[in-house]
Amino acid sequence: MAASALFILDLKGKPLISRNYKGDVGLGEIEHFMGLLLQREEEGTLAPLLTHGKVHFLWIKHANLYLVATTKKNGNASLVYSFLYKVVEVFCEYFKELEEESIRDNFVIVYELLDELMDFGFPQTTDSKILQEYITQEGNKLETGKSRVPTTVTNAVSWRSEGIKYKKNEVFIDVIESVNLLVSANGSVLLSEVVGTIKLKVFLSGMPELRLGLNDRVLFELTGRGKNKSVELEDVKFHQCVRLSRFDNDRTISFIPPDGDFELMSYRLNTQVKPLIWIESVIEKFSHSRVEIMVKAKGQFKKQSVANGVEIAVPVPSDADSPKFKTSVGSARYLPERNLVIWTIKSFPGGKEHLMRAHFGLPSVEKEEEEGRPPISVRFEIPYFTVSGIQVRYMKIIEKSGYQALPWVRYITQSGDYQLRTS
Amino acid sequence: MPYLGGEDALRELRRALANPHVQADRLRYRAAVLRVIRHMAQGADVSGLFPEMVKASAAADVVQKKLVSLYVRAQAPRQPQLALLAVNTLRKDCAHPSPAVRGLALRSLCGLRMPGIQEYLRQPLLSGLRDKASYVRRAAVLGCAKLLKLQGDSEVDGALVNELYSLLRDQDPIVVVNCLRALEEILKKEGGVVINKPIAHHLLNRMADLDQWGQSEVLTFLLRYRPRSEEELFDILNLLDGYLKSSSPSVVMAATKLFLMLAREYPHVQTDVLVRVKGPLLSACTSESRELCFTALCHVRQILGSLPGHFSSHYKKFFCSYSEPHYIKCQKMEVLCELVNDENVQQVLEELKGYCTDVSVELAQGAIFAIGNIARTYTEQCVGILTELLGLQQEHITSAVVQAFRDLVWLCPQCTDAVCRALPSCEDAIQDSEGKQALIWLLGTHGEKVPNAPYVLEDFVENVKSEMFPAVKMELLTALVRLFLSRPAECQDMLGRLLYYCIEEEMDMAVRDRGLFYYRLLQSGVEEVKRVLCSPKSDPSLGLLEDQTERPVNTWASEFNTLALVYGRERWALVTAYQPAEPSYACSPCTDSRSRDTESLISEESKEILKAHPDTGNLTLISDVYLTAEEFEKTWLSLEMSCHLSLPWCGTVQPDAIQTALHVVHIQTIAMSKAGVQPWKAYLSAQDDTGCLFLTELLLEAADSEMQVSVKQSEAKPEALQTFLSVLRTVMGAVAGLGS
Repeated sequence: MAASALFILDLKGKPLISRNYKGDVGLGEIEHFMGLLLQREEEGTLAPLLTHGKVHFLWIKHANLYLVATTKKNGNASLVYSFLYKVVEVFCEYFKELEEESIRDNFVIVYELLDELMDFGFPQTTDSKILQEYITQEGNKLETGKSRVPTTVTNAVSWRSEGIKYKKNEVFIDVIESVNLLVSANGSVLLSEVVGTIKLKVFLSGMPELRLGLNDRVLFELTGRGKNKSVELEDVKFHQCVRLSRFDNDRTISFIPPDGDFELMSYRLNTQVKPLIWIESVIEKFSHSRVEIMVKAKGQFKKQSVANGVEIAVPVPSDADSPKFKTSVGSARYLPERNLVIWTIKSFPGGKEHLMRAHFGLPSVEKEEEEGRPPISVRFEIPYFTVSGIQVRYMKIIEKSGYQALPWVRYITQSGDYQLRTS
Repeated sequence: MPYLGGEDALRELRRALANPHVQADRLRYRAAVLRVIRHMAQGADVSGLFPEMVKASAAADVVQKKLVSLYVRAQAPRQPQLALLAVNTLRKDCAHPSPAVRGLALRSLCGLRMPGIQEYLRQPLLSGLRDKASYVRRAAVLGCAKLLKLQGDSEVDGALVNELYSLLRDQDPIVVVNCLRALEEILKKEGGVVINKPIAHHLLNRMADLDQWGQSEVLTFLLRYRPRSEEELFDILNLLDGYLKSSSPSVVMAATKLFLMLAREYPHVQTDVLVRVKGPLLSACTSESRELCFTALCHVRQILGSLPGHFSSHYKKFFCSYSEPHYIKCQKMEVLCELVNDENVQQVLEELKGYCTDVSVELAQGAIFAIGNIARTYTEQCVGILTELLGLQQEHITSAVVQAFRDLVWLCPQCTDAVCRALPSCEDAIQDSEGKQALIWLLGTHGEKVPNAPYVLEDFVENVKSEMFPAVKMELLTALVRLFLSRPAECQDMLGRLLYYCIEEEMDMAVRDRGLFYYRLLQSGVEEVKRVLCSPKSDPSLGLLEDQTERPVNTWASEFNTLALVYGRERWALVTAYQPAEPSYACSPCTDSRSRDTESLISEESKEILKAHPDTGNLTLISDVYLTAEEFEKTWLSLEMSCHLSLPWCGTVQPDAIQTALHVVHIQTIAMSKAGVQPWKAYLSAQDDTGCLFLTELLLEAADSEMQVSVKQSEAKPEALQTFLSVLRTVMGAVAGLGS
């Protein structure tokens, strides 16, 4: 079971759209939601699960919207949350952005989608690629005398339609590793992990069979190639299309891919890696007069690699004024609405070290409320490089028509949740 | 909301809809329909356009059909007469050549929640179930469940149920899952869909084809299946192993629950399963979706309760990030408390210490209490940190630290000296009731070790008139009397003043009574006071304040992956306090976990049967006779037992349902135990039109035994007794049927 009813509310709690799938929870129940939310927020006990009488509200917030599912049953929370996020994902693919405006502008499609996504409280077709085959935005503009049949429905493979055709058959493989880092105020690394994903962009005709070869350590040990450079992957997860039984047997990753973009697999590396960009900071606050900030950034990766689009966000007190900056490279700007200084470095080669100094004035009258200690966060992207050393050894593409298809591979390492606490 | 200019707008819309030129142009026609919908969404009354709208649905445009069906669905309950017009069009669409139109029409038809629609539904549904397009079959299958919900009381159609069971073999995965869902709803009264061996194995084989929603639901349905042999059990576990590592958190959760429940007799398998899902759970805990992360954290806490140390080596994953919402940080701190061990205690405490000075008061105090919790095992280090925090002289920090100290001293008396050394000078920084109470308690109980204790308490006595909280005054009385016993000279005078104030001037009755109580106690001599106040306290090892015993996995496995676990045991009990007991908890997994209304428990149909009974035979029970509990007891004791019998019973008792059912046949409930109490008892009374009383006791010793029924009669009327018993049997039979 999932939800009795689904509501999309604006920030004030007014329903923009609702669908009462089951009819066992009155539509009026939602009026209690906002009050409850505010009350719990005030008490500091807000949770993504609220109750009024017998009705449970499971909610998420997206942009300026609340998506709320109601149920009376002691159901499965993660299923409902996953579904709500799926709804957001589907809407986003239709409208680019999901917010109050897009709901109002696309009233009809939203209703159509809500009808297809769920029936009688149970998730139905939630794959946006399949939905797009028969619910189209153009449908509202163009004349569609005859309705299309969702062909995918009768397929043996529910994620791919038959009869797909491309002039040029290609597959783009993106190997993306995100680095999550948490460093304490005294400079010791609290958490460092790498989350890898392999994303595919598939432009292939027909029903192709794909096989992906990686330098997977377990596979290498199985086949006695222990000496080659290999990678130990942990917590590997696959898209639904991958045949799990084959992977379990002989670590072969074989699948019939969906059309277009999708995430094939994800993995995790728990081995401690040296932080790729290391930050040392000194933030000195002289009450009533000024704040002085010194930030040193060091690229701790191979000299041949270059980090692009590096953004180092340094917190400043909310009452600071008259900023002055000095940087050894790149530029710094002050974002008063976010209480941040952002130091941008377009290209940052490995092994280099850069410096930024900032100076702010402080008002002589100190303000009342205390402020938290936000961390310094860093964003970056290092192309042609993976932390783990993972490699795509081959991608075999077999289709019964026997066409030749080209696989393209790209490697990127980027920042995930990359934070360094300040004292 | 009144819509301004509604009349004009309505007339204009009607004109547009009826205009043959508009009708001829599909785009314009659709635009007109859309305008009606927009008006409706704004709260305008557009019911007058019903005939025009129904006509609009006859157009070939699918989007327009959808819009109209939206309109009809909203208006139908208010205008059942007109809605019949729409029904005809929809029924016609059910035979449309396009499957999309057929499916849509069927779904709309079943979505009309209005009386009397059922007879129009049956035929289209039956042909829908056999439609060649799976899109239509999906809608038809769920339509069957909707149909039954509309009918409410009538018989479950056996043929339909069989049809649905056979559709479990459908080639479309969503049809399969929808069949399960529909059967579950339709067979609610019989305990839901039956998962026998062939069905279970069929579902296991289809798992790979299903989407994540289907997979997690099928895994939940499989909970109902009991493998015949150990071999089969392990085959199933092997088959499903991959789902423990699914990329969808809800599938991981559902699979874990199934594993835990199936392996309930193999603790080592359960432990192994929990080791295997460690990775997926940890990644859910760092999920980008806060809500999923929160849910996962709740489950991690539950697992830690049974397997302490399970996540100890991953403690850093539970460190809070600056931007996380409050509810996640709080869960993480609780998790940190539970996974602390010799290796990580240093780092965990260091981290928690950082949170103690957070700007959020709730978070800071939460962190302090967390350290207080850890202090039960790592006393010395924690007391050191807490003492250090007192130096900050922050109101909310000091208050929380003192409260943590109070709870700690109780459980770990060895740290009393260290705590007492830290206490002086705290009093200035405490303003809230909880903090004051804790400080006063500490000073009263361990005042002999705190040199300035009497002077601190004296300050409180001086200011007692302006004290806002009665609880603080009560605590002060107790503390001062205690301190008086150990340091009489310093306390005598102010104790006198306090007692005088409490007895003569205090307005709060509880405080006054407490004052009088101590005054009288003191009159009976110091030795007596000592005997009363200083006799041994309850032993903390009795687990009065803490429950550190490890809970076996099986105590919570059935709650895994439900809201109950996310709420936590206490909150869930609160949330469901006034709801009827859920049958699922005490029972085997055959009953699914869903709350049911008391009203719906007794279907209309059985109500009628129950009602019919009192009129048959020669017994008429009077409805408006009420006995008080005292009268009942007196009569009960004075009468001889007329009859004793036992009724078969299975599962838990649902007092609300029983009471409602008894009320229908005019049997009054005098008293009844709460759900889940063992032994469960109830006392009932009834009176017939001749004035003869029937007093009844129901007794259920333990779940799944027999219900013992004892009846006493005020006049010996064997015939009436037999009729009464048969009425009672019918009622209890009906209710018992619902319970299992």
